[in-house]
Amino acid sequence: MSKILKTNKGAEKCLQDFLKHLLESGKAKAVMALSKTVATDQDYTLNYSLISSTEELDNALPFFPLMPANAGKLVSYLTLKGPISAPIAVVLKPCELRAFVELVKREQGHLDNLLIISHSCGGVLTFDSYLNGNLDQDIKAYWGAVRKNQIPDKVRPTCKACIHFEPYTADISFDLIGQDLDQTCQITVMTDKGESILDGFDVKWTETKADPKTAQDLKALRQKAKDGLFESINADIYGIDNLIDVFGRCIGCHGCSNTCPICYCILCDFESKDHEFEPNIFEAEIIKRGGLRVPPNTLLFHIGRLSHMGISCVSCGLCSDVCPVEIPVSTIFSKVGEAIQDLFKYIPGKDLEEKIPLTKFEKQEFEEIEDK
Amino acid sequence: MVSGNKSSDSIDLKGAPLSLAEGARGALLSFLRETLDNGLLDALLIPMKVPAGDSYAWVLVKDKSLLEDANPFAPIMPVQGARALSSITKHGAPDLRIGAVLRPCEQRAAIELCKLKQLDMEKVVFITLDCPGVIPLKDWFSDPEKGETQFQQLLEKGDFLSPQMRPVCQICDKMSAPIDVDNATFPDIHFALLGVPENKGLLIPFSDIGNELLEKTGQALSSDTQTWQSKVKEINAQKCGKRKTAHEKLDKEISGPEKFPKAFAFCINCHNCMRVCPVCYCQKCYFDSEMLKHSADTYLERSMKKGSLWFKPDSLLFQIGRLSHMSLSCVSCGTCQDACPMDIIVGQVFAFSSDQTQQAFEYAAGRNLDETLPMRIYQEDKELPEVCSMCKDVLESGEDQ
Amino acid sequence: MSDTFEPRIVGFFCKWCTYAGADLAGTSRLQYPPNVLPIRVMCSSRVDPVFLITAYLRGADAVLIGGCHPGDCHYIEGNYYTRRRMAMMKTIFESLGLEPERLRLSWISASEGPRFASVITEYTENTRKKGPNPVKSKVFI
Repeated sequence: MSKILKTNKGAEKCLQDFLKHLLESGKAKAVMALSKTVATDQDYTLNYSLISSTEELDNALPFFPLMPANAGKLVSYLTLKGPISAPIAVVLKPCELRAFVELVKREQGHLDNLLIISHSCGGVLTFDSYLNGNLDQDIKAYWGAVRKNQIPDKVRPTCKACIHFEPYTADISFDLIGQDLDQTCQITVMTDKGESILDGFDVKWTETKADPKTAQDLKALRQKAKDGLFESINADIYGIDNLIDVFGRCIGCHGCSNTCPICYCILCDFESKDHEFEPNIFEAEIIKRGGLRVPPNTLLFHIGRLSHMGISCVSCGLCSDVCPVEIPVSTIFSKVGEAIQDLFKYIPGKDLEEKIPLTKFEKQEFEEIEDK
Repeated sequence: MVSGNKSSDSIDLKGAPLSLAEGARGALLSFLRETLDNGLLDALLIPMKVPAGDSYAWVLVKDKSLLEDANPFAPIMPVQGARALSSITKHGAPDLRIGAVLRPCEQRAAIELCKLKQLDMEKVVFITLDCPGVIPLKDWFSDPEKGETQFQQLLEKGDFLSPQMRPVCQICDKMSAPIDVDNATFPDIHFALLGVPENKGLLIPFSDIGNELLEKTGQALSSDTQTWQSKVKEINAQKCGKRKTAHEKLDKEISGPEKFPKAFAFCINCHNCMRVCPVCYCQKCYFDSEMLKHSADTYLERSMKKGSLWFKPDSLLFQIGRLSHMSLSCVSCGTCQDACPMDIIVGQVFAFSSDQTQQAFEYAAGRNLDETLPMRIYQEDKELPEVCSMCKDVLESGEDQ
Repeated sequence: MSDTFEPRIVGFFCKWCTYAGADLAGTSRLQYPPNVLPIRVMCSSRVDPVFLITAYLRGADAVLIGGCHPGDCHYIEGNYYTRRRMAMMKTIFESLGLEPERLRLSWISASEGPRFASVITEYTENTRKKGPNPVKSKVFI
């Protein structure tokens, strides 16, 4: 089911009030959303919080275009040991939601008792503009672009190229893109649960119809940006020498895998003893090559990680942002990930019921890769 | 590597002069090339420019033609050398005599890793150098070429107090061989640049292997090292003062339950700092382990108590917990700060805090290989009166049992 | 070191089919080139994609996975998963501009000694023509 409702209230205010209503009415015991955590000299020190009091809710900025951590990974962390016993609401961006769905498929989280609120997403600021930019000005420009159905300037490269900017499996989605955000608020109620939870929220909704053109236009714009991005990254990474050039500066911090919402292993294969070299291997390798980069296995880590999680990569872009040496990790993973996903016609996180392609098979397929 | 008391002023060290006609890098490289040539060393662990030319990486080199791209004076430290050395030797020493060209803090970290049984020194010849510091990675990547020339210039000028280096490098008072420290462990060979005759660098051997290497490559120990020693002591003393001031300032800024969380307010829990830390060797960090993962209801309860719970939780537990795990071995290299995507001053905080923990045990990370890690020994009733009232009584009454 | 290039091929062979096929080729005294380093696995689906990447990066001129014919898997369906993973690996290699041709998948049953010999022969010759794996000489892997 899908129903579109509209009201005369600013979008941000509307969500704030709605979250407050949920807490007050006891429909949710807590809310997970971006909020100001520690007061510092800076205006915005944002992190995700699990908020349970209405006063603390005043610090929440759920629509703020920032992703300090992939909230899908955080909800998975929250519900890893089992479903939560009381209902809570989580505000997730579409890619965070997709990541969470992928994690649930991998038995790393539970959907029970979660009310999922999402929104159409204009992208998130890079850490660089968050930390070093003129935030007030950037935020203003950001919402300006979102209202006008354009691609904001200072968002992550993969956000500019993201065509999955509308949530697939939320209960309620706030439509932000192409909307007048100050005066009205338009939401899409996507499930029965969403519908029932709206009951008792004291706002006059009027049912309306969506204008499919808005989303189509943006999709076309983003598709074009994506083609351009992939083309340029392809020129940078194609072939072993280019790969060595791109990943040559990797310092092995594995921040990309630590923050990756799909990389859930407790101990990453590439940090395990399996991939440490015994002394004799060093001897053999330096005889063969004349020298060997240490610690070894830089390329193995990245290509190996692609083979492990590329099928589920949601292109959230966090890996690029945490990279201290500015390797365009997310662009590479997004491109190669999409190639793998296309192979199986799979969109990660779109449908909870759809199995991960590598865990199923058809009896007759891919016969072209076998030796005759 | 050799330990012993060499700190008295009358220390009589000789050095072999190397011409700096081709720069410090060229001079040291030509010596290293010879050691490979003569089979004195089987391989070298040395920073090398990556093929893209915009960064450096550690390479274990056997083929001396590869040394073209090597640079012992790399302007940056993308990976801490002790970590690189540990990855080679942690499962035992290879059947190779490896010359490791390290900075002093990397040697100190290597000593700590050796105590923690993560590194085998048996076959390693340590070669260290006077270190002007390294450029923070963020500054470097904004313009690698500029960084390269800048670093070259201050190396030529002998500027060891540059404000362009990592913040912890600017206050590093151990930037050379530890001649001003009592009972320290010395490298096999140290390459001195400070206070030496013009256009010369000095190779100073401290161990038998070091002497052997110089002898067999025909380097005569013809130079006196007094000027180097006094210059090192002078700069170290200067930086020691700067360190004190900087730490006093930091103390005001971050100490206390109100201020400390602010220092880490931007933390996103990527744990990059831990992964690049040379002494954080655990395969699975405790703070990433199952031990800290609880049921959803536990987190909900915690949130109810405070009204709100920062998620992912336990971010400060990680920082302070990591301090409790590794601060006694922290060598203040600053690699953690370089790896932080949120520009948190984690390296400065850790240097500040570990100075105090190490002082409490009169320990200094990497000072001496034979010193036991403080957490592995104790004195029954004679220490730390400030934390144990009984010890205090015993100490005050002067009783000795 | 000789000047002529002798390919080094890493083969992951399923215990029930391809490895037994190799045995049969041997006991039938069939001639095939000695360029394959066979590694026995319990099932072709035991081969983690990372094995292929490791072999490739460490300098194998080619990597071959050998398993039972579809439908004949000792574990009923293992080789179907292998095929999917191989399709994925080839896509990754293609996207990164590495050489997907150096990765191959063959179904060889326990009774196909001659097929084993011919696959290895053909594969060795192909790899020889293709030349050595360029990654073999790279320092910065």
